Amino acid sequence: MKRIIAYASVTFFAACFLLPFIIMIFGSLRDMQYALLSPSYWFSDQLTLENYRYVLSDGIFLRWIFNSVVITVIPVFSQMFFCTVLGYIFAKKVFPGREIIFWVFMAVVMIPQQLLIIPKYIMFSNFGWINSYEALIVPEIWGIMGVFLIRQYLQNIPNDFEEAAKIDGAGDFKIFMKIIFPLSIPVVATVGTFSFIANWNDLFQPLIYMTQENMFPVTVGLASLLGKEGHFGIEMAGSAISFIPTFLIFLFFQRYFTEGIQLSGLK
Amino acid sequence: MEETARATVSGKSDAQPIGLRLKKHWGKYGMVYIFLVPILIHFLIFQVFPFAFSLVLTFMDWRFIGESEFVGLKHWINFFSDTLAHKAIWNTVLFSLYYIIPTMALGLILALTINSGIRFAGIFKGIFFLPVVTSFVIIAGIWGWIFQGTETGLVNSILGVFGIDSQLFLSSSGQALMVLAGLSILKVSGSTMIYYFAGLQSIPSQLYEAAKIDGAGPVRIFWSITFPLLKPIHFYVAIITTIGSFQIFDSTFLLTGGGPNYSTTTIVYYLYQQGFASLNLSYAAVLSYILFFIILIISLIQRKYIGKDSSIY
Repeated sequence: MKRIIAYASVTFFAACFLLPFIIMIFGSLRDMQYALLSPSYWFSDQLTLENYRYVLSDGIFLRWIFNSVVITVIPVFSQMFFCTVLGYIFAKKVFPGREIIFWVFMAVVMIPQQLLIIPKYIMFSNFGWINSYEALIVPEIWGIMGVFLIRQYLQNIPNDFEEAAKIDGAGDFKIFMKIIFPLSIPVVATVGTFSFIANWNDLFQPLIYMTQENMFPVTVGLASLLGKEGHFGIEMAGSAISFIPTFLIFLFFQRYFTEGIQLSGLK
Repeated sequence: MEETARATVSGKSDAQPIGLRLKKHWGKYGMVYIFLVPILIHFLIFQVFPFAFSLVLTFMDWRFIGESEFVGLKHWINFFSDTLAHKAIWNTVLFSLYYIIPTMALGLILALTINSGIRFAGIFKGIFFLPVVTSFVIIAGIWGWIFQGTETGLVNSILGVFGIDSQLFLSSSGQALMVLAGLSILKVSGSTMIYYFAGLQSIPSQLYEAAKIDGAGPVRIFWSITFPLLKPIHFYVAIITTIGSFQIFDSTFLLTGGGPNYSTTTIVYYLYQQGFASLNLSYAAVLSYILFFIILIISLIQRKYIGKDSSIY
């Protein structure tokens, strides 16, 4: 009896959580004029790939995807590198000011993004960064949370490996590349997946720094389609395409997402 | 490098020539200099400076063209008489009321179901977590379609089957904020589930067995053992969902544009409008500091509490 309740409820919730994605797929396969009409029309007519053809032949949509790739891939890899180096420095190196610097980092995490966006907008206007990739890449090359996660992880790894390598005459950089980095792969993957999601899905920052249509990432681009009459099918096709990278990363790195969420909670 | 190692072993570093000592120092701290110094400069430019600059902005009339002037407390005083700003704060509080408890409850229920020993628990966990990693733009687009205020909308069609009149949803000033809260609940409860799932797994199974021996039923076990033992998780999740709810922006930007009749104008949406639609950057900076103070208070409560009670198990 208890099992039946468990299976019934889990199936019900799974259906609810999957419904939006099912609507996305169905909506993208419907003729755009009908997509806005009631669900009963959905099953009365044929499915079509017209929306996908339209979206993929539209230069601007491919440009949005390209922009998203640029502002995501570069921060993901540079975050994985810099956060690991800094996590290592804060976990294993003893130098004056270490604790105070780390404490300041952790205090700054509490500052909401929205507070920094206005001064950053003024700064970036002066740098000439409005409508250029720098505005979304340069500030994101490392992240405090990533440093925190990797520091936390490396603190629990004994110093023995390092000591042994030092006795063998290995320098710091060699130790880092040959020992620390390979050891940290699981948590580096967590930092990478978090960074991917944060940048690929970000709406607020590009909305402010990117004002020209050809510089929009796909989030801002899709937002500009939202609510336009008769565009539902196209919007869903665009959503589905922009969802593919997220879905693939999620499929392969799900463990790192959930572990990362737990780790970040264990302050 | 070999010399450095030998010097460390012999412990006579003081007697070494300055060149060797520098080399040793570099060998030990080179990485700190090469990486930490640039990162600290980056930190000062992109975090510390904007934070300080934002405060300066609140005391100025900032203009892109022409001279910006110092106006003292003008913008702060304006805030206290700006009824729309007060409405935005009230809307945000109202949003939190619709959002926090259901997100926590749904997260806990999902965690309980996947923790109940069913098969394919990993797959279900993945399904519940999927909206967390999906962009707001995608989910909002679908959500807006589900809750269309016309008779042919999906929810209205279903309501029609039960003989309930069509609702306006996003076009109704009474319902729009609730529909947006529903969207956020669906989007976020997957991550609250993860916290609760971790919490459930750390409850020792002996407690359940002992309770069963004493003849307690599942409902009794839940309220007497599971729920109270999850107390640190409840608190942590409450804090992070509260902070999240005060920063709500995406859904109101995407679906309602703050309307109808300002009923979904939240703090961040109002800040965005003031700053980037009206180019009233200084006043937007004041609003961002108000948001900061609210979040700071919530975070301080968290630090105080977590330090004290995290070792409950």
